[in-house]
Amino acid sequence: MKGRHTLELREARTPASTAVISRSIRRRQMRIGLLFVSPWILGFLAFFAYPFFATLYYSFTNFNGVSAAKIIGFANYSSLFHDSLFRSAVFNTFYYTAFELPLSTIVALGLAMLLNMNVRGRAIYRTVFYIPSIVPLVASCMIFVWIFNPTSGVVNALLTGLHIPGPDWFFSITWSKPSFIILGLWGLGQPMVIYLASLQGIPKDMYEVAALEGAGPFQRLRHVTLPMISPIILFNVVLQLVLCVSYFTQAQVIESQDVGGPGNSTWFFVQYLYEQAFNFLRFGYASAMGFFLFIVTGIVTVVLFKSSSRWVYYAGDQE
Amino acid sequence: MLSDAQVTSSSGLPQPASRRRRRWTPSKIGSSASKHIVLILVSVLFGFPLVWMVLTSLKSNTQALATPVVYWPHPFLWANYPQVLSAVPFYRFFLNTVMYAAVTMVGVCISSSLVAYGFSRLRWRGRNVLFYVMLSTLLIPFFATLIPLFVLYSKFHWTGTYLPLMVPTFFGSSVFSTFLLRQFFMTIPQSMSDAARVDGANEFTIYSRIILPMAKPAMATVILFQFIYCWNDYIGPLIYINNTAWYPLSLGLNLILGTYETNWPWVMAAATAATAPIVILFFFAQRTFIQGIAIQGTGAKG
Repeated sequence: MKGRHTLELREARTPASTAVISRSIRRRQMRIGLLFVSPWILGFLAFFAYPFFATLYYSFTNFNGVSAAKIIGFANYSSLFHDSLFRSAVFNTFYYTAFELPLSTIVALGLAMLLNMNVRGRAIYRTVFYIPSIVPLVASCMIFVWIFNPTSGVVNALLTGLHIPGPDWFFSITWSKPSFIILGLWGLGQPMVIYLASLQGIPKDMYEVAALEGAGPFQRLRHVTLPMISPIILFNVVLQLVLCVSYFTQAQVIESQDVGGPGNSTWFFVQYLYEQAFNFLRFGYASAMGFFLFIVTGIVTVVLFKSSSRWVYYAGDQE
Repeated sequence: MLSDAQVTSSSGLPQPASRRRRRWTPSKIGSSASKHIVLILVSVLFGFPLVWMVLTSLKSNTQALATPVVYWPHPFLWANYPQVLSAVPFYRFFLNTVMYAAVTMVGVCISSSLVAYGFSRLRWRGRNVLFYVMLSTLLIPFFATLIPLFVLYSKFHWTGTYLPLMVPTFFGSSVFSTFLLRQFFMTIPQSMSDAARVDGANEFTIYSRIILPMAKPAMATVILFQFIYCWNDYIGPLIYINNTAWYPLSLGLNLILGTYETNWPWVMAAATAATAPIVILFFFAQRTFIQGIAIQGTGAKG
């Protein structure tokens, strides 16, 4: 009985029918898979795909959010490039990103390496380094405006004690952007922990081999540590890049108290976009800025990924 | 005390490297001391702003503004706290934030776990492509899609409420949570699912009865991060919440900074009050925190 049954099954499995069965199984699997990810697909269509194309469309229109959008071609883009406020906002954001991105990478990596040393009380140090990054952003802005206060702030009091004249920090044209950069470096806990985890994932025997071959600490850093964690560096740099170009909260909080940088020295890109959209209801113009932001981020990301084949090392176990 | 060499020879087995490193030679003590000096200096740099925040919050305003700087509050003015916290509806802001966090936590837990299951426990055509599409949305700046969303939400009459901040979380908007859960789900052996499938369980049963209960630590991480995210979120409420009564803490703090700008002890007391719950939470859930970030980060290379 049983033998006949299997025989029948075997007869049924001609190549064509196997294909039919496997195709229907595959289709069923795909349906179940899509069903599970469907919340995200709906969210993606509604909260990313639609607004993305709508931003592109609005950027070619004159639109105040209420009356119908009127198509005006490239007028928004051409006025962007003649807008001196836009230019200074782009410059300030570029300045911030150009310093914050490399500095934050180096500092976060450096802190992670310090924490990766074999010393007692590592957990305590790690906690101290990490906590600033979970302090609410508005609270950290409050703290920094206060300690960097030119007249009664503690930082300038300490500098005076060392006979160094303290600058006006957030009030100074030259020091306002560095002040924001310092504030950014204070809250580096997240990339630091990621780097620390990746440092701890480097097999110890790689260092032993390197040491046997006579590699000094610098060579071990250059030829073992950095290549091993380079994918993580790429990941963090890209994420920090998106954060840097969208720099907003800290600048908005600090400047809303009339203590922000003088002139346009700390007028960042996204603040200008926000002002154009929500104070002047120039939604078309703001959309052009939004699309510009997307293009610039996209180009830099693509360049980073393209260049990554030169400096990112993928160990053999990567998929 | 036995030296390491004697221990090794008496047991006849080589000691593990970590054990051997414990031996204190003068040069080791020197290098360890220099490591600690560096670490302590950096700790002072990172810890000082917070210490100064707490110290200022306990001073009188004249003391806070005094030159030369008064370092230690005298006397401790604890009254700053009740005064500033009742000067604005701080508890209301607190409750608003908790409500915002609670609803979005539910949204993230449901949607991210479902999506993560689809992206990790099931094999289907197009899975990897869609997964990379999802990851790439991380690279789209928030402000690049903001304007049409704002227009859309105002058509729905959602502006002025928390709906624009809450509804997307039910549709997998928290890519980091989905990513973190996916990384975790992939570590669960496939044989667990196969055994259940042989017993006739459907995928939803496997998801809800087997995978979710095993993923409790990962879910705890997701909940924690979502809470911190809401506690910190400033841009979202700034754009959508305009009624002071509905302000979350972030906007409330900004209000305090704007109103009592010259009263630094009050401003610092408010900052301390908003920071303390998060720091306390961190001390209770430190492992969950650190491991969660590590999973997100180190999983990113795959």
